[in-house]
Amino acid sequence: MSQIPQLDRVKYAFIFPAFLLVLTITLFPLIYALVVSFQTIRIVPPVPAKFVGFDNYVEILGSARFWGSIQVTAMIVLISVAIQYVLGFALALALHHNVPGASLYRVSFLLPMFLAPVSVALIARMLFHPVLGPVNEFFTMFGLENLPFLTSPNFAIATLITVEIWQWTPFVVLLMLAGLQGLPTEVFEAARVDSISAWRRFRDLTFPMLLPLSVAVVFIRLIEGFKIIDTVFVLTGGGPGTSTETLTLFAYNEGFKKFNIGMTSALSFLFLIVVILFGTIYLAVAQRMIRRYQ
Amino acid sequence: MRNLLLATALVPIASLANAACAPDFTGVTLTVSTQNGPFIASALKTAADSWSEKTCGTVDIVEFPFSELYPKFLTAMSQQTGDFDVIGFIPAWVPDFAPFLSAMPAAMQEGPAWEDIHPVYRERLMSWGGEVKSATMDGDMHMLNYRADLFEDADNMAAFKEKYGYDLAAPVTWDQYYDIAEFFTASEAVDYGTAEAYRRGGQQFWYFFSHAASYTNNPNTPGAMFFDPETMDAQINNPGWLKALEDYKRGLDFNPPGALNNGSGDVRPLYSGGSVAMNIDWADSGVLGATEGAIAGNVRTAILPGSDKIWNSVTDSWDTFEAPVASPFLAFGGWQLAVPTDSENKDAAWSFVQEVTSAEVSGQAIVTANTGVNPYRLSHYENLDNWSAIFTPEEAESYLAAQRGSLDSPNVALDLRLPGFFSYTEVLEIELSKAIAGQVEPQEALDAIAAEWNKLTDEFGRENQLAAYRSSMGLE
Repeated sequence: MSQIPQLDRVKYAFIFPAFLLVLTITLFPLIYALVVSFQTIRIVPPVPAKFVGFDNYVEILGSARFWGSIQVTAMIVLISVAIQYVLGFALALALHHNVPGASLYRVSFLLPMFLAPVSVALIARMLFHPVLGPVNEFFTMFGLENLPFLTSPNFAIATLITVEIWQWTPFVVLLMLAGLQGLPTEVFEAARVDSISAWRRFRDLTFPMLLPLSVAVVFIRLIEGFKIIDTVFVLTGGGPGTSTETLTLFAYNEGFKKFNIGMTSALSFLFLIVVILFGTIYLAVAQRMIRRYQ
Repeated sequence: MRNLLLATALVPIASLANAACAPDFTGVTLTVSTQNGPFIASALKTAADSWSEKTCGTVDIVEFPFSELYPKFLTAMSQQTGDFDVIGFIPAWVPDFAPFLSAMPAAMQEGPAWEDIHPVYRERLMSWGGEVKSATMDGDMHMLNYRADLFEDADNMAAFKEKYGYDLAAPVTWDQYYDIAEFFTASEAVDYGTAEAYRRGGQQFWYFFSHAASYTNNPNTPGAMFFDPETMDAQINNPGWLKALEDYKRGLDFNPPGALNNGSGDVRPLYSGGSVAMNIDWADSGVLGATEGAIAGNVRTAILPGSDKIWNSVTDSWDTFEAPVASPFLAFGGWQLAVPTDSENKDAAWSFVQEVTSAEVSGQAIVTANTGVNPYRLSHYENLDNWSAIFTPEEAESYLAAQRGSLDSPNVALDLRLPGFFSYTEVLEIELSKAIAGQVEPQEALDAIAAEWNKLTDEFGRENQLAAYRSSMGLE
C-alpha cells in the first residue's frame, strides 16, 4: 500500500521538467512583457532602459486617445457581434429547415469567413468608394450622392461594423447550424404533436437548448472582435483623426511606428485587462441568463 | 606528361578568367536588402547581374515589406549581427542609422561619376555629421503635374483669362493653383481641378509639407522651417504653417469626392486616368500618365507653386518678396544605399553601390518601367534621347526641366530628417487629419502638434535633437 504514493512522486518527478518547460515557454513572454511595461525602453531613438514603475500605465490611462480607442473598439465589437448573432442564428435556422437551395446558400454564406481580413478590407474599400463604388451607385438612386463612407467618423464606424458583420456572420451560422443539427428530434416532434406554434418551439425549446452554445459563440466573437486591426488599417487608417482607431491599431502605432516598447507593453496589458473585464461582465450576464432558462 | 601539358594549358585560361573579375570578388556573396519589389528591388537585381559579371561576386537580394525595413535594419545594425552588406532605405532614417553606417570610401567621392550627382543629393542628402554615409540611388521630390490638352486649349485659355484676368499656364503661386483648380472643377472639360493625398497613413503629411515650404522656408532664416535652429522649439504652429494648412484644406473643394481617403497611390491614377486637370505627386504620376494613362502625349510637369510672402520666425512677421519665391520640397528625398559598419564585405559592398549608382546602370534604370528609380544625376537630366521610349519630346523636356529646376532652385526645401522621425510624424498625421476633416480648427491642430513635438524633443534630448536637426539642414 505504501508503494503507491512513492510511485506517484516518481511519476511527478518525470513530468515536472516537461511541465516546467511548457510553463516557461508559455509564461516567459508574458512575464518579460510585464517587466518591460514598468520601464522606459525606446528603440528609436535609442533610450536606455529605466525603471519607471507605473508611469507608463498612468500616462496611458490619462490619455484621451486610449479611452477613445476603447470606445471605438467597444462600439464596433458590441454592435457588430450583436447583429452577427441575430443574423447568424436566423440564417442557421433557415438552413436547418432546408429552404430550397440550402446547400448552395450554405457554401456561399460561408465564403466571406475564409477570406483574409486584409482582402475583405480591400474589397470593402472598392465597394464603399464614394464615387466609383456600387454602394454609392445604390444610394445615388435615392438622391444620396457621394456619401463620405470612410471619411466621416460616424459613416466610417458604420462601414467598419458592416464589414465585420459581412465577414463574421458566417462563423455564427456555421456553429449555430452545427448546434441545431445536434438537438434531439424527439422533443420537437412531441411539440409538433401538441400543436405548439413555431415561435413557441423556438422560444421555449430551440433557444434555451442552444443557449450554452450561443454564449460560447458570442464570447469567441467578442474576444476575436477586440483584436480588430486589419480592416481598420486598410479602410480608414484609424482616421479621420483617431475617430476609428481601435485598441490594437493604437498599440501597433506605439510599437511599430514610434518603437516605444515600454509604453506598448503597458498598453498590451491594459488591452488584456479590458478584454478580461468585458469578458467577465459578459459571462456573468450570460450565466444569469442560462440559470433563468434552466 | 599528359597532366603537365593540361595544367600548362589551363594556367593562361585561369589567369584570363581572373582578369575578367575586376575588381575580383570571387567567393564573396553580398546580402543586399530593401523593400519588396518591383520598385527599387528590381533595379538592384539588374545591377546585381552586371556587378556579378564584372567582379565574379554574387548578390543575394533580400526583400521586406516597407513597414518592416526600419525595425529590421535598425535591430540588425544596433545588435551588430552583420546580416546585411548593403541596405536600401530612405533619407528620413539616416539620423537613426548614421551611427551604424560606414563612410563612403574616399575614392568614390571624387572623379566625374561623383561630380555627376546633383549637388543637392551629393552635398546635402548623402551627408550626415560631415561624412558621406549613403549614396542616392533615386531622386525624389514633389512636383506639379498638369495636362497640356486642357491648359493649351483655346476655349479654356480664353474663358480662364476672362474670369481671372491672367493667362492660363502652370501656376507659380498657390493662389494661381487654386484659381486653376476652381476653374477646371467648374468646367465641363474635366471632372475635377486637382488631386492631392489627404489620407492618414497615405503619405498625407508630405503633401502638407509641400504647401508649407512655400510659406515657411524663408531664405532669410535658413533651416527654420520645422524648428528654431537655435532652440529646437517647434515652428509648426506659426502663421506660415497655418496659411499652408488652410490652403491644403481649401484644396478639398477641387478634389474628387472622398479625397480625405486618398493616398498618393490614389492620386496617380486620378491624373493619368484623366479625371483631374492637375495633381501634386512624385515623378511617378508623369511616367504613369505617359505610359499607361488616358492622357499620353499631354503630360506636363512643373515646379511646385511658390509664394511672394514667407513667414519670418525670427522677426515674427511676413517677409514680402518682389516675385514669387519657389520653395520646391524634396519630399521623401529618394532611396539611398549604405553599407553598415558590421558588414564583413565592405569593399565589395561599396563596389556594388558604385555599380548601382553608376551613370550607365542608373541611366537605364530611370527609363525602365517599375524600377521606381527617378533621375538624380546631371547626366540623367541632360540626355533627352534616353527618355524617348516613355515620353514625347515635349513631355520629356517639361518632366526633366521641372526636376532639374526644383533641385537647382536656390530655396529648395529639404525634408524633415530627425531621430524619432515616426514619432514626430505620427502626431502630425493625427492632428492634420482631424483638422482637414473639420473636427478641430487648423490653429488648434497645429498647436497640438507643436506641443507634442516639443515634448518629444525633450524626451529624446533637446541637445541631441538640435544637433541632428542642424546637421540635416546643413547648418553645421
